[in-house]
Amino acid sequence: MPDSPTSTEALVLLLTQHQEPLFRYIFSLVPREADARDILQETSLALYRKFAEYDTTRPFLPWAYRFAYLQVQKHREKSARSPLLFSEDVMDLLASERSHIEPRLDERLRLLDACLQKLTAQDQELVTSRYAMRQSAEEMMARFSLSRRTLFRNLELLRQRLHECVTRQLQSEGLA
Amino acid sequence: MNLDSLIHAEIDGEITPEQHAQLEDLLRADWQSRQRYLELADQHARLLQQPTVNTGRLQKAPLRHSSRRWLPALTAAAAVIVCAFIFWPKHSSETEATSNGVAMLSQTMDARFTTTLRSGDTLKPGTIHLTQGLAQIEFFSGATALVEGSAEIEILSAWEARCLSGRVRVHVPPAAKGFLMHAPGMKLEDLGTEFALNVKDNTSSVHVFEGEVIAHTNEKTPASLKQGMSLSSLKSTITTPQDFLSISELHGLVKQRDTQRFADWQQWSLTASKDPRLIAYYTFKHLEDDRWDRLVKNVTEPRHPQRAGGAVGAAWTQGRWPEKTALEFKRPGDRVRLNLDGTYQALTLACWVKVDSVDKKYNSLLLTDGYDNGEPHWQIYEDGSLMFSIMYRPAEAAKNAKYNQMYFSKPVFTADSLGRWHHLAVTYDNTTGEVSQYFDGQPVGHEISPLHQPGRAIVFGPCEIGNWGLPTQGHQFPIRNLNGAIDEFAIFSNVLSPSEISDLYDHGKPD
Repeated sequence: MPDSPTSTEALVLLLTQHQEPLFRYIFSLVPREADARDILQETSLALYRKFAEYDTTRPFLPWAYRFAYLQVQKHREKSARSPLLFSEDVMDLLASERSHIEPRLDERLRLLDACLQKLTAQDQELVTSRYAMRQSAEEMMARFSLSRRTLFRNLELLRQRLHECVTRQLQSEGLA
Repeated sequence: MNLDSLIHAEIDGEITPEQHAQLEDLLRADWQSRQRYLELADQHARLLQQPTVNTGRLQKAPLRHSSRRWLPALTAAAAVIVCAFIFWPKHSSETEATSNGVAMLSQTMDARFTTTLRSGDTLKPGTIHLTQGLAQIEFFSGATALVEGSAEIEILSAWEARCLSGRVRVHVPPAAKGFLMHAPGMKLEDLGTEFALNVKDNTSSVHVFEGEVIAHTNEKTPASLKQGMSLSSLKSTITTPQDFLSISELHGLVKQRDTQRFADWQQWSLTASKDPRLIAYYTFKHLEDDRWDRLVKNVTEPRHPQRAGGAVGAAWTQGRWPEKTALEFKRPGDRVRLNLDGTYQALTLACWVKVDSVDKKYNSLLLTDGYDNGEPHWQIYEDGSLMFSIMYRPAEAAKNAKYNQMYFSKPVFTADSLGRWHHLAVTYDNTTGEVSQYFDGQPVGHEISPLHQPGRAIVFGPCEIGNWGLPTQGHQFPIRNLNGAIDEFAIFSNVLSPSEISDLYDHGKPD
C-alpha cells in the first residue's frame, strides 16, 4: 500500500538517493534545465503512484528510468511543435547508448570534482557565476564585459577543458 | 559548426532550429557522436546540480550520497508526496490493483506449460495451462495446490483459484483457512483441510481427505463435506481417493529425478573433463579428506594440479541437486583464488550460478587481479546484464583513447531469475573480436568492440572466482563480491559453438 508510512518513507529515501542520476538521465534526453526539472517532478509522482509495483530486490534506477522515459515522451507529445526537441528516434538512440555507457559516465563524474579544483581562478569564477549563482547570460555579459558570442564561447571552452581533464584522469587510472 | 560546438549550443539553449536539426543528424549517424553528446550533457547536468558549486565554494566535498547534500531534495520529494496525497488519493485503488504475484510455482516434474514457466517462477493472477507433468503451486496465503497435467487453473488471488479442467489436490493449512476454489457448478470453501478436485467436461467432483470443506452448489444450502466424503456436480461420476496423486508421491518422484539428474551429470562431467580445450574445470566437489577444507580441485584430464583453486571465506553449501556441493559467496571477503598460466587466442567461460541478489554495481564471476593487458573480467552489472570486458592499453595511450573492450548482454537477472540455478557463458575470439554471451544455453548478446584489434593475446595469471581482490596498489576499489553460489566453472581456450553451449546447459540443468 502506497500510503503506509514505511513504503512512503522507502520511496522518499530512494528518490533522494537517486534524484541526481534521474535528473541526469532526463537531461540527456531533454537538455533544457527547466523542462528536465518539470519532467523529474512528473516522474517522482509517477513513481509514487506505481511504487507498490516496485520490487525492492531490484536496483531502483533501471526501474525509475522507465518511468522517466515515459514522462519524457509525454512531454514531447505536449510540446510536439517545438523544433528544439529531439525526435523520438534520436531519443531512443540516446537512451539506449546511455544505458551501455552509464558506468563510464558515473566514473567520469567521480573525477569531475577533482578537475573542478584544478580550474584557473578565472574559470572558477565562470563556473560559480553560471552554475552556482545561476546568472543569466545578460548578467554575465555585464559582469565579465563580454559579448554574448564570446561569453558562450568561453563557457564552451571551459566545459571542453573539464571534459578533457576527466578523460585524462580516467586514462591514468586505467579504469573504465 | 562542428559536433562539439553544436552540443554546447544545445545545452546552453543557444541553438537555432537549423543547428538543432544538424545535431540530430550527427547523433543519428554514429555512436561516437552520441557518446560525446552524452558525456558533455551529463557533465553539464552534474554541474547544474553540483552542490559544491551551488554554494559558491569550490572546495573538496564528499563525492556522492552524503546525507546532508540532498536535504533540499528531500524536502522537495516529501512535498511531492504530500501533493500526491492531496491530489491523487482516489488513484490509490489503481495502484493496489496491480500486484507482482500471488503464488509461486514451487516444484515441477516433467511439466510442460503453454507459456514459458519454470519451477521457482512467481505467478501473477491469470490462467496456467499445464499440458503434461506435475506442478506444485504455493499460494502466498499458504495454500498449496498439486496439479496434474493436463489441467487449466486460473489463479485469481492468493486466496482464490478456479479449476477449469484437470485434477488438482489442495492442501490448506490453518493460516489459509477460507481459501476458495471455484469449479464448474461448485465453489469450495476450505476450512483447513486437504481435498481433491477433478474437473472433466465441465463437471466437477470433489473428495475430502482430511478436515472440512463447505461446498456451495446450485442447491439452496451449502453442503458440508467431511473427511472421506465425496461430491459430484453430476451424480454419475464418483471420485475415489486413488484418482489423485499425493504430495508425498510428488516429492518421491522429484527426489528420484534429482538423483537421476545428478548421476547423469556426474557421468557426463567425467567425459567433459577430458576435453583438451579445457584450461581449468572446477566441479566444486567438497572433498571430505581435504583437511583444510579449502581446496577447489581442477578436474581436467590430463591433470593440472597447479591450477587448483583455493577457497577464501566462501562456505560449502548445496548445489543444483541435494547431493551436489557448491560454494557460497556472501561476505565481501568470500572468493576462490586461482592462478592460471598460459597465453591464449580465444576463451570460453561457463558456469552454473545461483545469484541471490544483484546488489552491487559490479558482481563478480571471474576477474583477474588488477586489470592489465589481455586480462578478461566477467561480471554481472547492476541492471542484471552480463558484462564481459578485456583490457588492452596501448603503450602510449593516445589522447581520448579508449582501450577497455566492454560487452553487455541484455539484462538476464530479474526478480524471477534470482535465487535459482542458471547457466552463464561467454566466448571471446581474439581474431574476429566477437563476444557472445549466453544465459541458460540461449544467446543473449553478440558484439564486436569497435576497439578490437586482431591477434592480441589473452592472459589470466592470478585471478579469482566470485570476487575481485588484490587490486593494483594505490587505488580504491569497490566491493564486488558475488551474492550467491557457484557449483561448476569451466574455462576453455577456444570458442565453443552455440550448440556446444546449449549442450552444457542441457547436461547440467537442474530439472
